[in-house]
Amino acid sequence: MNYFLQQILNALGWGSILALLAAGYTMTFGIIGLVNFAYGEVFMVAAFAAYFALTIFNLPYWMALLISLISAIVIGLVIEKIAFKPVRRAGMITLFITSLGASVIIRNLFIMLFDAKLKNFKAPSSLKGVYLLGDLIISKKNILIFLITIILCTVLVYLVKNTKLGIAMRSISYDSQIAETLGINTERTIIITFIIASFIGGIGGILWGILFGSVRASMGAIPVIDAFIASVIGGVGNVFGAVVSGYILAIGSAFFIAYLPPELVGAKPLFVWIVFFIILIFKPSGLFRANIK
Amino acid sequence: MGFEKKIIIVKYILGTGLFFVTFYLLEKLLSGFWLTLFLLFGINVILAISLNVINGWIGFFSIGHGGIMLVGAYTAAFLTLPPSFKEGILDLHLPDFILNIQLPLLPALLFGGISGVIAGVILVLPALRLRGMYFCAGTLGFNVIMTTIAENLPDITNGAMGLRQFPSYTNIWWVWGIAVFLIYITLMLKKSYIGRAFISIGKDQDLAEHMGINLLKYKIYAFSLSAFFTAIGAILWVHLILNLFPTAFGIVLVFEVVAMIVIGGMGSVSGSIIGAAIITLFMEILAPIEEGINIFGLYVPEMLGLTTVLLGVLLITVLIKKPEGIMGEREISLELFKRKIN
Repeated sequence: MNYFLQQILNALGWGSILALLAAGYTMTFGIIGLVNFAYGEVFMVAAFAAYFALTIFNLPYWMALLISLISAIVIGLVIEKIAFKPVRRAGMITLFITSLGASVIIRNLFIMLFDAKLKNFKAPSSLKGVYLLGDLIISKKNILIFLITIILCTVLVYLVKNTKLGIAMRSISYDSQIAETLGINTERTIIITFIIASFIGGIGGILWGILFGSVRASMGAIPVIDAFIASVIGGVGNVFGAVVSGYILAIGSAFFIAYLPPELVGAKPLFVWIVFFIILIFKPSGLFRANIK
Repeated sequence: MGFEKKIIIVKYILGTGLFFVTFYLLEKLLSGFWLTLFLLFGINVILAISLNVINGWIGFFSIGHGGIMLVGAYTAAFLTLPPSFKEGILDLHLPDFILNIQLPLLPALLFGGISGVIAGVILVLPALRLRGMYFCAGTLGFNVIMTTIAENLPDITNGAMGLRQFPSYTNIWWVWGIAVFLIYITLMLKKSYIGRAFISIGKDQDLAEHMGINLLKYKIYAFSLSAFFTAIGAILWVHLILNLFPTAFGIVLVFEVVAMIVIGGMGSVSGSIIGAAIITLFMEILAPIEEGINIFGLYVPEMLGLTTVLLGVLLITVLIKKPEGIMGEREISLELFKRKIN
């Protein structure tokens, strides 16, 4: 039983980051039906900006946070402006290819400029160490990441459910043309959605750096796919569902590794896809109610 | 025998003669870099046209053909690798009769193609339930799953270390023979009932079903055709490059093939050929720059990933400025030239 609980506690940090990413992902997915592969690059750029601010320029932590969030938002908006806005009406597949293209461009640009190696990310020293709860070990990092995620996701769920902005977002996801005739500024709402999503992605990137202590140019590749799958499982556009599915996927992967024989540990990437196919075959609308038609 | 038929026979004889003369001359003329470039071009034509059958004609946007390539390439690798390498150096745990043989290219192509078809038919399963972007994501999953399996079976595939010591089988006749054959059958298919059924599924799947087209049957046909030639393209590629890793047919390679058909025009065979020509030339010209070169004393440092960046820029530009690609759904034909002249 302790072993079981320990797996959950270990997966908490990664699960929280995945939940954040899925929450950010599902917002743009819900509002314009965009499968944004470049979201992983927003996440990566934020982590890199924080890394440069901390390691190269030796800035204090709050400033690094600010810089990295600003760069995440800027890169998110640039991607939206260049790759998505001109083809928004051309259908999901075109959007999918342009997002894949944008993702490949940014990732390889970073590999080109700053090589593909792992880079050490300085985590604050106050976060080192663990707490002991009886037999269980829980690291301080995981607690911090979990708290930040819960707070941000609560705010996000409230925002989408109860505020005027959230209602505008949901109305656009139902039918953007009708929403426009009813006096909703579609362009502005989409931009704000992108800003929020990039902000969340940026936080995710910094937390990743703190959790794993390293960043690299291809770090966005796997989280973005996991976040996509989590947002499908959670019901497209449903922030709460995405958060819960993010935790389900991360904790499930942890169990997958913990309880299977060691030869199969390399098969970890299969887990999320197996879940994805099972969900799409048996419950295509996701575990939770989707926020779009 | 009527006059019409005689003309057709003469056309075929002339075409075959022209084919042999052209490629005989090319074989004599080309060497080194240009020969490799020409072979890669042929392989890319095969890959692009077979991807176009799925993505352009029946309208399911697959980015999982990397998985099919992997299956075909590994099957062929087991057959064509020298026994001394399979058993002596790697100690792969395969049945004895596979370990002890080394087959020529043709049976390897056939067996690899057939195992590719099996993988392709597995891809039909998501195509039955998923549509649009969900199918796209599902095929990406297929790609990831195949790569992960290949990486995690060290006894059979030698894991992430990959396979080497392939015999250098690929030559101009194999590549371009198959490429020309594929161009011919896809052009013929486009005018036939089966090809039109594929295209009508792409235009509107529900309407096609109401018109009496058996969706399951034609999807299986299309995926089998595409998978067979995709696997063959991959096998030829492996016997040209002479090594094989589980990550060889990852998302970047699929992205290149997707760029070919998008730039050339989805649904057009001649478009795929043009796209393959453009992308092959583009990649091979940029490759030396990526590794760092000296231009008149000006040293350009190595820039890994430059080709991929520029490829992405090219693809996005085409999608924004000219979404239908160069050819759209048209084909280059004599009638087109006649209309242009008039």
